[in-house]
Amino acid sequence: MEIFRNMARRKLRSVLTISGIVIGILALTTMGAMASNFNALLDGGVKYYSSSIQIGPDNGALGSVVSTDKVAEIKRVDGVADAFAGVNLSLKPGDISVVNFGVPDMIVTHDPAAGKYATLKMTIVQGRDLDPGSRGEVVLGYGVAKEFGKKVGETIDLPVKPKDAKPDFVNHTFRVVGLLDKTLTAPDSFAEVGLADAQMLLADSLPEALRGKVDTSTLATGIEAYALPGVNADQLADRINAEVSGVKAIRPSVVVNGFKSGGAIFTAITTGAALLALVIGGLAVINTMLMAVTERVREIGLKKAIGAHTRNIMFEVVSESTVIGLVGGLIGFGLGAGIVSLVNATTPPSQTTLFLITPGLAILSLGFAVALGALAGIIPAFHAARLDPVTALRAQ
Amino acid sequence: MATLEIRDLTKHYRQGGHVVRALDGVSLDIDGGEFVSIVGRSGSGKTTFLDLVGLLMRPTAGSIRIDGQEMGALSDGRLATLRGAKLGFIFQEYNLMPTLSALENVMLPLRYNKARREGGRKRALRLLEEVGLGDRAHHRPAELSGGQQQRVAVARALVNEPSIVLGDEPTGNLDSQLASELLGVMRRLNGERGVTFVIVTHDLEIAGSTDRIIRLSDGRVVSDEPAGEVSAA
Repeated sequence: MEIFRNMARRKLRSVLTISGIVIGILALTTMGAMASNFNALLDGGVKYYSSSIQIGPDNGALGSVVSTDKVAEIKRVDGVADAFAGVNLSLKPGDISVVNFGVPDMIVTHDPAAGKYATLKMTIVQGRDLDPGSRGEVVLGYGVAKEFGKKVGETIDLPVKPKDAKPDFVNHTFRVVGLLDKTLTAPDSFAEVGLADAQMLLADSLPEALRGKVDTSTLATGIEAYALPGVNADQLADRINAEVSGVKAIRPSVVVNGFKSGGAIFTAITTGAALLALVIGGLAVINTMLMAVTERVREIGLKKAIGAHTRNIMFEVVSESTVIGLVGGLIGFGLGAGIVSLVNATTPPSQTTLFLITPGLAILSLGFAVALGALAGIIPAFHAARLDPVTALRAQ
Repeated sequence: MATLEIRDLTKHYRQGGHVVRALDGVSLDIDGGEFVSIVGRSGSGKTTFLDLVGLLMRPTAGSIRIDGQEMGALSDGRLATLRGAKLGFIFQEYNLMPTLSALENVMLPLRYNKARREGGRKRALRLLEEVGLGDRAHHRPAELSGGQQQRVAVARALVNEPSIVLGDEPTGNLDSQLASELLGVMRRLNGERGVTFVIVTHDLEIAGSTDRIIRLSDGRVVSDEPAGEVSAA
């Protein structure tokens, strides 16, 4: 209580000091929320790609398609547990209306048999998974279902027709049989269909010159292979490249490292914001507490006279600066969380939200504010503790 | 055994190029329950004497024993503990915490003295009653007169039940009537509680109301007599 009364002695100064911390923690919270959002996205990528080997057409091949015949060849490579052909297509072809920081909405092939190998587990929250060999059915990711307002039992036309579509644009009606739980990463933007349906959509997406001339039922845009337990996935990718012609397997570690380096950039942004908070808030607190100590020299002298030890004086000064840090942190985090929640709430469903407030970020922001206040109080506390009681008691 | 035993107490300062002998070989005993005044002209060494006895500074030479315990070899931390346990202070400027109520000011020494915390609030309230401020316990210093503030300081000096209360011109900021009232309060507490009071004063009328007057000049004791036998300087 005495701490708050002391802060109230110089209201304007206390408000300005706390404002310094509020600005710093506000920056830390917003930058941290953005980093949390992207790191969640990248963590999903790391989980997804660390368990599978992505296989595409060989270097220099025209187009991004491989023959599904290659699946059988890949399965024969020693160490491969299973392999699945896949077709990935844009859910909203020709959509260039906004800059999107997330994963674009995609139509992807889903084979229920692949689920047992994947480390990124996806949960059906409503309805069911696709049946093997299903036709005309789709399972929607969280973001897609939200964007188009779809529930189980309803239908959706895929791919989604652009506003400026030409008269010959073709799409097909799919029945929504399941909805995926929120993953904060790529599957939120997916519409999962069976391979045969995806190949049919691939045929529709071909350039006019090829349309009707290519049998897409034997084509895939990529193949995913899974390694047997204990088999090194990077070495298996090398083996596939050596033994299967016409395809290029990418080492999982290359993909994963790409995601991790992306995460490091966002971590650096958060660290930068934290340093900004340290400089702005920390200097303000040091200045305020030094002034407070100077103003309260006689009080400190009296406390020493009536039995206060050096540690008591230091504790009182550091406690006050810590409370300043905590108050600034609470306000800064509250403002930051409010702002990012508002921005997220007003983001159109077709765009990826930019911010994610996590319990970890709350602990980091408030912990940082408290630690900042405490550290900034140390120099003034030493100054107070070193005061000679005789001189302090008679200071004017 | 005297409550306060002082032997050859000396404090020299270096000021500019020469040495100032603020206190120069003072020896005296003060018994438990005495009410003693230290008088002397400005620069006689009386404030230095109080600071040394108050364990706020270390002597250049000599010894101080409080309740038989030698203070000279103790660490700063131990001296702080002893200040809280054995001494009470009253200052000319009251030195109350402006953000604390009268009661909180009286209880302030308990914050640094765990051993006396039990029953501290009750003791503080009783002391405020004894100094006539029972109805002002929750007032801040700014809401009290100078005389009332100094009574709060007296209560604060006694809350840890010390052996000795040291007063540095405790009546210096009060008019003669308030000074006389305050002295009456201190004398009553001295009589009722048996606490030793040592006050520095330049007011001979106040000094004359104490048991014993010690006069300092140039850092030495020039007289040490019962109050009734001291003539005006």
